[in-house]
Order: sequence, then C-alpha cells, then structure tokens
Amino acid sequence: MVKIAHLIPLFPFLAFVVNILFGRRLKGASAWVSVLASGVSLALSVVVYQGLLAGQGPYDLGKWLTINGLPIHFGVSVDSLSVMMLLVVTIVGTLIQIYSIGYMHGDPRYSRYFAYISFFMASMLGLVLADNFLMVYIFWEGVGLCSYLLIAFWFERPAAAKAGMKAFITTRIGDTGFLLGIFLLFIATKTIYFSDLSHIVPMVGSEWMLTAAALLIFCGAVGKSAQFPLHVWLPDAMEGPTAVSALIHAATMVAAGVYLVARTYSLFVLNSFCLETVAVIGGISALMAASIATVNNDIKRVLAYSTISQLGLMMLGLGVGGYSAGTFHLMTHAFFKALLFLCAGSVIHAVHTQDIQKMGGLLSKMKVTGTAFIIGTLALAGVPPFAGFWSKDEILLAAFQSGHPFLFGVAVLTSFLTAFYMSRLIFLVLFGKPRSSLHAHESPKTMTIPLMVLSFFAVFVGLLGSPLTHHAFQNFIFFGAPSVEEGQASGAMMMFSTVLSLSGIGLAYVVYIVGNKILPVNIRARFAPFDQLLLNKYHFDEIYDAVFVRPCLKLCDLFSQFDRIVVDGMVNGTARVVQWFSAVLRPLQTGLVQHYLLIQFLGVIVLILTVMGKLCFRF
Amino acid sequence: MIPLDYFVVLGAVLFCIGIFGVLTRRNVIGVLISIELILNAANINLVAFNRYLGTPDGLGQIFAIFVIAIAAIASVVGLVLIIAIYRNGKSVFLDHFNLMKW
Amino acid sequence: MAEITFFFIALCVCVFALLSVLSRDVFHCAVWLALTLLSVAGVYFYLDAEFLGVVQVLVYVGGIITLFVFAIKLTAKIGDKSIVQVNEQTLAAAIVTAVLFYLLFKVIAVHPWVSGPGSAAVVSLKDIGNSLLTGYVLPFEFISLILLAAMVGAIVIGKVKK
Repeated sequence: MVKIAHLIPLFPFLAFVVNILFGRRLKGASAWVSVLASGVSLALSVVVYQGLLAGQGPYDLGKWLTINGLPIHFGVSVDSLSVMMLLVVTIVGTLIQIYSIGYMHGDPRYSRYFAYISFFMASMLGLVLADNFLMVYIFWEGVGLCSYLLIAFWFERPAAAKAGMKAFITTRIGDTGFLLGIFLLFIATKTIYFSDLSHIVPMVGSEWMLTAAALLIFCGAVGKSAQFPLHVWLPDAMEGPTAVSALIHAATMVAAGVYLVARTYSLFVLNSFCLETVAVIGGISALMAASIATVNNDIKRVLAYSTISQLGLMMLGLGVGGYSAGTFHLMTHAFFKALLFLCAGSVIHAVHTQDIQKMGGLLSKMKVTGTAFIIGTLALAGVPPFAGFWSKDEILLAAFQSGHPFLFGVAVLTSFLTAFYMSRLIFLVLFGKPRSSLHAHESPKTMTIPLMVLSFFAVFVGLLGSPLTHHAFQNFIFFGAPSVEEGQASGAMMMFSTVLSLSGIGLAYVVYIVGNKILPVNIRARFAPFDQLLLNKYHFDEIYDAVFVRPCLKLCDLFSQFDRIVVDGMVNGTARVVQWFSAVLRPLQTGLVQHYLLIQFLGVIVLILTVMGKLCFRF
Repeated sequence: MIPLDYFVVLGAVLFCIGIFGVLTRRNVIGVLISIELILNAANINLVAFNRYLGTPDGLGQIFAIFVIAIAAIASVVGLVLIIAIYRNGKSVFLDHFNLMKW
Repeated sequence: MAEITFFFIALCVCVFALLSVLSRDVFHCAVWLALTLLSVAGVYFYLDAEFLGVVQVLVYVGGIITLFVFAIKLTAKIGDKSIVQVNEQTLAAAIVTAVLFYLLFKVIAVHPWVSGPGSAAVVSLKDIGNSLLTGYVLPFEFISLILLAAMVGAIVIGKVKK
C-alpha cells in the first residue's frame, strides 16, 4: 500500500508558499494555483479512502523529537474519521475556492487571499491527519491564525479588524484550556497519542485527572466550535469575505472542535460526567443560537447563529452517546451550510446589502442561486430526503434513547426553531415583493457551478447514513464502544422529525407570507421584552465587555503606565547616564594630533616604568 | 676611546629634543623638522652600535642608509601633503585641523 | 684629544637641534636643522662611517633641506613673527619630555655597556657595496620601488586640479 496521506496537506502548503512569494506577479493565476493544489489534495484523499477500504492503517513518518524520554513521531492517522474529514474538507474547500475566483474578483489583495486559504487548507488537513495531541495543537493554532487573518481580511474596515481580534482572543481562551488539558493528560498517562486513548489511558491515569483533562480539552473544542460561553466571536467573524465564512466558519474549522471531541471520544466515554457536560453545553448553545437566529436581520449572521446551533446539536449528539450521529451531522452540515453561505454570498454579491429586510423576491432574478438556497434550507430544516433530515434524525434518536428527556426536548425545540428561522430567511429573501429598489443579477459561472455541485451533495449525501443504504456511513465510521445501540432509525422518529420540520416551515409561512408585514410586527410587539432580549443576543457581548474586557483594559492601562514610567524610565535613565559620561569624556577627544601624541608618550613613560622600573629604581 | 654609552646618551638627547618639537610646534613643517631629528637620533644609535658591536658586513650602516631613504620619502610625501592642505585650508597650523573627532 | 672632539661634536648636535626646535621662524629652523644634520654627519665620521657621513651630507643637507625650504617658501605667511609658533601644551610637553629623557638616561646608566670598539671595527665602503648588492639586494631594490611610488604619489597629490 502506498503511503501518500501525508502528501495531502503538502500541496496546499506549496500553493501557499508560491502565492505568498510570487502572488503579485501571478495576479489572477494565483487562484488557479490554489484550486489546483486543492484538487490534487482531493484526488489524493480519494486514493487514501480507497486505501483505507483496502485495509491501510495509520503509519509513521519518522521521529520528530524526544521530550523527557518520550519520542514524538510524525504520525499520520489514517482511519475512517480522518478520511471522512479529509474528503469533506477537500471537496468543500476546492468548491469554495472555485467560488472565490468569482467572489473575490477585483480585490486588491486577491493573491494574498488565496495564499491564506491555501495555508488554511494545509493546516486543516494536517490537523485531520495528525495522530497526536502535539501536532494537532500546532495545526489547531494554524487554522486559528488563518481564521484571524481572513476575518480581518478587509482590515481597512474597523469592524473587520475588531472582529478578527475578537475571534483570536476568544478562541485563545479555549486553546489555553486545550493546552493545559494536553499537559495534564501527559502528566497523568505519559502519552500524547490518540491511539493510546482507548486501551492504555484508562489503565494508567487516575480518574479525576482524566476527567479534568477531558474537560480542559473540551474547552479547546468549545472555543473553536463557538459553543456557549465562548460563542460570541462567530457572529462577528461574518465581517470576513463570505467564502471564508463558508469554508472556515461553517464547514471546516469550527467543526474541528466537534472533530476533536470525536477524536478523543474514548477519553470522554470514561466518565459520564464528561459526556453530560458536552451534551449540556451543546444543548445550551443549540437552543440559544437558534432563538437568536429567529430575529436577526443580517443574512450572514442568521447563518452564523445557525452554525453555532448546529454545532451545538453535534456536541449534544456526541454527548448523549451518538458518536456516529454527531460525526454524520458534522459531514452533512459541512455540505449544506457551505452551500447556504455561498448562496448568501451570491445574494450579497448581487444586491450589495446584508439586510434581509431590504431584500425580497430574488428568486425570479437569481434562479440558480435561489434554487440552491432553497435546497440548502430544506436540508438544514430537516425535510426528507435532504441531507440534514437523516443526520438530525440520528441525533434526535440518540438523545431520545439516552434517557435524558431534557436534552431530547432541547434537541426537538432546536430542530423546530431551525426550520422556522431558515424558512423565515428564504421567505424574506427569495419570495414576496422586493422591499427596496435592488438591481439583482445572477452571479458568474465560477460562483454558480460550485453551488450546483454543493446542492447535489446537500441532497444526496444524507442517503449515505439512511436506512436506504443500510447505514453505510455508520458502518464505515463505526466506533468501538458506543454507549447506545445506534443506527436503528425508527419509523416513528422519522415521522416525528418530519412533522417537526414541516410545522416550523409552516409557521414561518403563516407569519411571513400570509401575515405579510403586519403579523411579525404584532407578534414582536406582544413579546417585546423577549424580543429585545433576543435582538441583543442575550446581552452576552455587554456582559463580557463589563466583566472581562473593561477590567482587562484597565489593568492594561495600569501596566502601560508602569511600562511608560518605570521601564521606560530605566531605559532612558541608562541612556542619560551614558550621555552624561560621554559629555564628560568627550573633551578628551580634541581631534588635535599633538594632544594624542602627548598622551601616547605619557603611556610610553608608564610602559618604561612597568618594564624597567625595578631595574632602574630598585623599588 | 669614547665608551658606547656616550653615543647612546647623545641619541637619547637628540630623540627627546625631537619629541619636544613634535609635541609643541604648531607649524606642520616644524613638526616634520622635529621628526627628522628623531630619525637622526636613531641613526646615531645604529651607526654607533655597528661600530662597537657590529658584524663585518656593516648591517648597521646599511640600515642607516635605508632610514635616510625612508626619511627622504617621508619628507617628500609629508611636504606635498602640507602644500595640498595649505591650498585647501590656507593654513599650515596643526591646531586648525581638528575635524577628526566625535 | 678624541674625547674633546666627541664632546664638541655632541655639543654642536644638541645646541643646533635645540635651536631648530625652538626658533620662531620656520626658515631659521630649517637652517638650524641643516647644521644639526651636518653635526650628525660629523658623528658618523667620528665613528669611521665615512660613506654614511657623505650620504648624510648629500641626501639630507643637499636634498631634504632644499625641499623644506621650497615648502616653507610655498606656504606664505608662515614666517610672520606675530604668529605664535608653539601650542598651549608646551609646558606639559616639556615635563613629559624631561621625564622621558630621565628614564632613558636611567636605563642607559644601569646597563653594562662594552667599553671599547669590537673586533669588527671599521666597515669599508667596499664592504657596504658588497652587502648592498648581495645579501641586502632585495630591500635595496624595494627601497627604490618605494621611492618611485612616493615620487608618483607626490606628483599626483601636488598637482593643481583644474
């Protein structure tokens, strides 16, 4: 079997190097460099997938370094989970890069954009393929860096620069926990390899240490996947280019948190408390974000809250023991959420606004985009037979079977709200009459073709995990010790789930199409305090601002004063002392040769005295 | 016959007079004159040592001849430099040339 | 008799040297330098180095002093009596020189010198010629090269640039 998996991140990295060094000269061609590199990665991923089916396993590239007697290898993990992620990342990534050719056309930093995207692809693929915590952490920070750079890509806009910093700092909090978790795990078990987690770790580590390590590692996942309470950065991250939002902040990087939990799942399974924490955090995020999405008017922010909500659902799925349900939803979500973001980007490209209250009736003007948008919405809302239906159904089933009625209720409510807010979105954007004079037009081919391809995936990728294919996905991803019997989708749950989705869509239809303009206003007026709470996103930003940001800035002010007065004072004082000494000593250097000569002869006298003094004077 | 140390002392006297001149003359030509004195002090020593302690091939005297040649070269170049400086700065006084500092 | 001759020559050397260092007028300095150099030539004769004495008179007094006089005359105004000819560090220089001389004298005094001329005695003109063109021919040729270089350099530096 040819070992080629490690080449997959290499090609995007080469594209990054080429674009960052020669981007100015390449101009438009830099996009094709990146797309080509992604395409090669995609082809290699397919080859690796076939290799996996033929029985290839993880392999080792050689020793990297030795820390305290523990050798750390460049391991390449080739298993069902990582190959699934490889395929998702390369397919979605390649399509989004093709889309970006049209979307970023005419941008002054066109090649820089593709350099960043390629670096992101390299980091993400490396993250997926890493077989130990240390390498995962390195690539983890790599994708975080790309996220920061791309959110703040239009850094001329203060909002974008601020959003970039917010994302970086917020995820940094989670990453610190992640790093501490790695340290703790290493202290407890002397290993950093994922492969040791299932069989070695439970034997050697003390229970409370492993629990703490699992929770700290979950902190990293919370930060990266924008879960409560570190979710605040993701909506602001929508300041970046929409293609970036689709790739990084919907399909791949934010899913890395879920991937991490799935990857270290055996650590969480050890203690039911850990799993419950994951489920509860996921549930809170899912419900909270879904409720905010029902009132938001920014097309991208609605999708961002939807992403938080769906990631929360995945966490919930993992937390209630639905390993395959969570990972399955991760995969389907990547496709249809990328599709939705790209549709949103296409709409924004056409009408140059993000406010859905100003849109309307766009379906007739943008047929391809509109159709793709509807497909994506149906997939996300969970209408059979679209992708989202099958995976969401799995999560609901897992929650139901786990015996946590509360969590099941949260999942149900979230599903209903999801159907509602997505329907509201497309009713406001695509249907009805235009609410302002917008000259919409269909986007170029480079943008619509990825939409069509992704639509295809959004429709059919769910079938992989459906009973129609005998749960091919579940069998593929199957994990050693799931806590519940999985993959037994019952007909009753399917019916319930379908009814749930359709009722959400129906409610939105009643409110926004039948009720036209009057009904939403009335409803909102009736529940004004609650409406305000949602519009203000539960005041998280304000609370964080008051509790963390401002005291921190105060402290920074204090430190900067210290720096300015004490540290600078010391430095300047040193300089001043030197200056004073030189002012004293400078007259010695007159520039007159004879002065120097006189001093030289004084030196000669001293020399004679030292050498001959004893001989001449006997002292 | 005169002892060797008389000549050495004579050389020392001439040397010190030369040094005094180099240290005190403002005029560059005066300094060059003083340098000639110092070179002559060295030559006296060379010749005296050759006479008292030397070998038959007359190394000391040959060395003195070389010193005289070098002295001639030094004076030629030195004087030409003085003339060049004088053309530029209209001065031959050393304390007017203090540009090489700080 | 030999002693008296030596002391007379030595006295001439010292006095003329002092005068050439202390004179106000640079032209006078050059004249006193010429006399000093002649006295030194006397020392050479006294030490039986006739060839060197002749070279001293020819090269120094004949050539270098003439050069000095030319330089003095080319740089105008420097013979002016109103200009101070010594710098402000004269006293310090005098002290340093005196101490230096005292130390040199001490060193010379404590050293055990040979009392009379050695067996090598007189070096004839023939010997010097032999040495210059056999054993020391390389430095001899080298000196001529340096002289040439100095000549070229002097012409280049001294040329008035248009």
